[in-house]
Amino acid sequence: MEFTLIFLLLTVVMLVAWRGKRTLAVGLFLFATVLAAAVFRHHATDVLNLSF
Amino acid sequence: MNPAMALKLNVLALYGVAAVLALAFAFQFALGELPCPLCLLQRIQFAALAIGPLLNVRFGCRPSHYALSLLAAVLGAAVAMRQVFLHILPGDAGYGAAILGYHYYTWAFVLFAAAIVLIAIVMLFDGQFAPPASSETKVGPVAAVAAWLVIGLTALNVVTTLLECGFAACPDDPVVYELLKPRS
Repeated sequence: MEFTLIFLLLTVVMLVAWRGKRTLAVGLFLFATVLAAAVFRHHATDVLNLSF
Repeated sequence: MNPAMALKLNVLALYGVAAVLALAFAFQFALGELPCPLCLLQRIQFAALAIGPLLNVRFGCRPSHYALSLLAAVLGAAVAMRQVFLHILPGDAGYGAAILGYHYYTWAFVLFAAAIVLIAIVMLFDGQFAPPASSETKVGPVAAVAAWLVIGLTALNVVTTLLECGFAACPDDPVVYELLKPRS
């Protein structure tokens, strides 16, 4: 779900940028980057249940 | 480098990101492999990489736009390197198929590293940062197609990721599309 939300946020950022709202696009981009970094932190420190 | 030349390079970068996102889909569907959480994060960072060029094409080239792409590339490279480290031990088969001898995450690291170097090189040319006549630049059809390709592919990722992960946290080792699973 978290990945879907970040992809959705990035789609919104692109649409906002394309429609000419630069400052809003940059702000939303930074928010998406913080979210992605938080998700990465979770996956970099959590135990992975992988099966190969 | 003049602003027009820099804009052409940014349009080319948009096509490059679109190609990466399209190839990821091609391998996902052709090989029937579902992207893992770290793979999805790398795709997210590839999409984020396109926002700098998108803003450059729309508003003219600015260092701050390149800075956004640099942030995306650095985080993407860190995620890819994390996955390389997960599979670095001898005998580890790695995650997913190998393309031309390297797994997706290795290619992703190479591409993010290349993006960092290329952005740094392009930023060396101050001539592109000449103040534009208006706050928005005129967008040609080739640039518009590139922008809508990237936007469309990112939106498609919203749909496929929702199908894969459903409304819960994405599994570490996904094997089925959660929302397409037959209900028992």
